[in-house]
Amino acid sequence: MSLPFRSGPPFLLAAALLGGCATSEGVRNPSGVPVTEMRPDERGFVAGTGIEAQDMVAVTDRMARSILGIPQISRAATPPSVVLEPVVNNTRFPVNKDIFLTRLRTQLNSKASGRVSFLDRDLMKTLQRERELKRSGQVTASADPNVVEFGGADYFLTGKLDGMSTRTAAGTSDYVLYSFRLTDARTSRIVWEDSAEIKKQGLEDAAYR
Amino acid sequence: MRPTARPRAFRGVAALSRPLFALLTAAAGLPGCATAPDEPRAAVRGEAGVPERDRVLHACRAAATALRTGDYSGAKARLDDALARLGGLIVDDAAAARARSLFAAEDTKVFVGEPYERVMVYYYRGILYWRDGEPDNARACFRSGQFNDAGAQDERFSSDYVLLEYLEGLATAKLQGDGTDALARARVLAGERFRLPDYAPGANVLIFAEYGYGPRKVAAGRFGEQLRFQIQDPPSRSARLVLHEGRTVVPLPAYDDLGFQATTRGGRVMDHILGRKAVFKAATNAAADVALAGSVIAADQSHRRELRGKEGGGSESAAVGLGVLGILGKVVSSATRAEADTRQWDNLPQRLSFAALRLPPGEHSGRLEFLDREGRALAARTRPVSLSVAPGDRDTVLFFSELSR
Repeated sequence: MSLPFRSGPPFLLAAALLGGCATSEGVRNPSGVPVTEMRPDERGFVAGTGIEAQDMVAVTDRMARSILGIPQISRAATPPSVVLEPVVNNTRFPVNKDIFLTRLRTQLNSKASGRVSFLDRDLMKTLQRERELKRSGQVTASADPNVVEFGGADYFLTGKLDGMSTRTAAGTSDYVLYSFRLTDARTSRIVWEDSAEIKKQGLEDAAYR
Repeated sequence: MRPTARPRAFRGVAALSRPLFALLTAAAGLPGCATAPDEPRAAVRGEAGVPERDRVLHACRAAATALRTGDYSGAKARLDDALARLGGLIVDDAAAARARSLFAAEDTKVFVGEPYERVMVYYYRGILYWRDGEPDNARACFRSGQFNDAGAQDERFSSDYVLLEYLEGLATAKLQGDGTDALARARVLAGERFRLPDYAPGANVLIFAEYGYGPRKVAAGRFGEQLRFQIQDPPSRSARLVLHEGRTVVPLPAYDDLGFQATTRGGRVMDHILGRKAVFKAATNAAADVALAGSVIAADQSHRRELRGKEGGGSESAAVGLGVLGILGKVVSSATRAEADTRQWDNLPQRLSFAALRLPPGEHSGRLEFLDREGRALAARTRPVSLSVAPGDRDTVLFFSELSR
């Protein structure tokens, strides 16, 4: 019989087929990726076109530097009192708005060396209740509780996030404008305003389009 | 009798089938080398470990149930879990690449749902943000919902949720902005179907209602490669809230229909990929059939020549070669996975409704009625409701669903 092959080639073929089911060949990171510590202003491998940690860090750093440079702060005879007002989110991304103000406040506090002080209006109800307890003598007081000592604001610091989004077959694009302003509580004049803008775009895997 | 006294024909087949037998044995052994590690499992609250790729799906289902049972913090946690995945772009992803490949089904990719499902994640989260006194984040969710509906094949059906547009404008108006553009867009989307009410700046109670059963995904086509939707026609076509013993009647018409939204998107890029997989599967199967038929004919030819006492003259080797090709073709064809992904958020409603009104702070009671096509109340579906309107500036947000889970 003139068979071109007898028993060897089928076994070779079978071996080739078996080789095809090599366990994790072609699988990226089959064992996963170990936890990576990153700088908060560094872009991670989990990313979208929305507002991310590195954006928040970059923006608040820039705003803190910018605020400290204005004469109303840097040359004030006494440290001005600032009240932080909630940031308004006008983008398509739900965000934890407090985190912007918290980081901005901590940055200013750490870099300002006492040139600016912040009034804690979030705690007003608690503070008022404490004052009432002191006035009624239910708790001790280290100073006269009948004297009004709650500080009034010299400035209001607030911000706004605006966005513009596009989605086409070519991908997704998001532009976010972060603007902050400092308003004089006495005159309503805006004494400082600055902004930062970030645009991101990308195209998702075809399996999701 | 000689030991080789078997009929010649049988001897020929036996000789031919040796290599084929080896191949078949190898093929039978292939499934045994399925060495995929255990699929990663996600810890989803209240459920045993679910596959990581289905994490969003389970979170969505659980969120809807939590919302309907009044577990708002649970709903928030699950929606945020889903949004953490939906909010990013999935690129350079191994599971997605696998889903696109010939030999893996679409449902091996991470579930993020079809646009109408993604929209609902944002819609529900928006309701909860509003309930928490964050209308700007609610607006962001409604915008993202509308954004997720962009890019439909027919531009008329792109970002065409009436309610999302209307709510975006209402949130803007509540934030002392100008919501008239959004209201105008919502009215254009609504067309002649219904007249959307003007924004009532003094409204302090926002009522979100849903009824009917959402679309069902099915796989159609020869290999299940086409994603299709089944739309039910539930009896509840509308609803109304009746308060204060009938003195206050709040209409809750269906502003959006998820069945309509699911079926007007047009084709996906993935449908094109699945179509190509199906063509490949059919072509390899047909080629395998031809090769196997050729193998049988060649074997028969060889056998006849042997009966005539002649050499096979190449027919035998042709039979083997074609047989091998045929079997390989069959293996490849059956291993090709063209099925569309039919995993679905199966406790979605069909119709979405909304109303805003002003009520004095305090307790209010009444009933929620679901209406049929003729506007008659469906008695079996009517349920008593009691609501508590909070004092102060914050809106009272109420959520009513015909679905229990």
